[in-house]
Amino acid sequence: MKKNFRLLIVLMIFCSLKAISQDVNLDSMLDVQIKTKNQNKTQYTEATFKTTRLINGHTVETTQGGVLDLKISHRFGMLNEGFYNMFGLDVASIRIGMDYGLTNRLTVGGGRSSFEKQYDAFLKYRLLRQSEGKKNMPVSVTLLASMMIETDTVAIKNQKNIAVEPAFTDKLSYAYQVLIARKFNSDFSLQLVPSMVHENMVDSSFNSNNIFAVGAGARFKLTQRSSLNVEYYYTLPGSKLPGTYNSFSIGYEIETGGHVFQLHLSNSTGMTEKAFIAENTGRWSKGDIHFGFNISRVFTIRKPKDLKM
Amino acid sequence: MFNLIQRMRVRVLLLFILIAAASAFKNQPSQLYQITSGKISFKSDAPLEVIKASSTELMGLLDIGKKNFSLKIDVHSFQGFNSPLQKEHFNENYMESDKYPYASFNGKIIEDVDLSADGNYDLRTKGTLTIHNVPQERIIKTAVTVKQKVIIIHSNFTVLLSDHNIPIPTVVNQKLANEIKVEVNATFEPR
Repeated sequence: MKKNFRLLIVLMIFCSLKAISQDVNLDSMLDVQIKTKNQNKTQYTEATFKTTRLINGHTVETTQGGVLDLKISHRFGMLNEGFYNMFGLDVASIRIGMDYGLTNRLTVGGGRSSFEKQYDAFLKYRLLRQSEGKKNMPVSVTLLASMMIETDTVAIKNQKNIAVEPAFTDKLSYAYQVLIARKFNSDFSLQLVPSMVHENMVDSSFNSNNIFAVGAGARFKLTQRSSLNVEYYYTLPGSKLPGTYNSFSIGYEIETGGHVFQLHLSNSTGMTEKAFIAENTGRWSKGDIHFGFNISRVFTIRKPKDLKM
Repeated sequence: MFNLIQRMRVRVLLLFILIAAASAFKNQPSQLYQITSGKISFKSDAPLEVIKASSTELMGLLDIGKKNFSLKIDVHSFQGFNSPLQKEHFNENYMESDKYPYASFNGKIIEDVDLSADGNYDLRTKGTLTIHNVPQERIIKTAVTVKQKVIIIHSNFTVLLSDHNIPIPTVVNQKLANEIKVEVNATFEPR
């Protein structure tokens, strides 16, 4: 009798345990439900980089549809210019430009640089978006095609060693990039950028008009609103123009509301692909280091449909 | 002989318990309701800017027998805002949605009410509201309408960002309110 009574108690405890566990189960049941739902949903990665430029070069990000991004970029002179030039602060290289998101994937943009009096225009298309869930995509891929016109004829003549006036087509250069990026976690993103710069006219001692390079860039998030960025463009040895060096830049980025401020040190003066990938003459080891900043301000011109409630 | 009767009695008892237990389990599914459509909207009404967003991806379960419930929402699913950048900031800087992808509320209904019966009820729920991975014990009032096994809830409450460790940078303190008004509408149906 005693034994059976014990059995009865065990059974009762078992039953009541089952009832208590029901409370906890509601949460785990919901989790299972969410998990199955997520398998049928694609979660796209947002904000691999904070803005569409890392330092000099583009990032995989495109401007959102209907958004105008006004960009003012500034490079002071070089730190090795000495006290007379206030370590470069007396000298300025400026690019003022705008990017506009035609759609979430397609951006058109352009700008004017004081360096070599360049005008540039580009088209940028987000081909793949990093995602998880139903569609699993490990990387984001963006294609960039840009065109630059150098209008400073005196500079061209000196650069290319020519005496005659350059024709309009001689002033043109093109750049093509495939930007491949992955946001590994909310604090770290990395991108690789196979690039090609085509110059319609190069120094006659150099027999190729095409310069090939691979860029690498990374973002390390320091706080919720700031990050450390590095960018390096490695020009492939066979296509390097004489007297040029690889571009390396390191920067700090902070954002407040609709602004992104980027402060950096770089050995590049120009801010177009031709200038910093193909024709960068500055060297870190000689102290050809420019302090500079980029300011980006976004304006919502047209509110995209998916934001409307 | 006596032993045999005793053993029989115990067996009958055990059988009864088993039947009772089995029927209890069998009853449970009909006690369990799940959200078939649910929407959460929120509004920040600051002096310089009004921000509104909503999500229709509210998920949840309700056990009308035990009167407990569990609700969850994917923070990434909120749409609205005044610009795409604002939505990005919401996820990246304030909610940290990559780290804490869900906001949840789970707990019990305080009032002793039979939600299988049709009617309108004003109920209080007591539970844990978890936003930005910070749990807060809350009592939230909700209006409930039951009609033919369909339970519709409607609730308004406020969330203080400071309660959930979401700081407001000084540059935007005129554009973002600390007190966020939240509205929940959901329809539960038997699972």
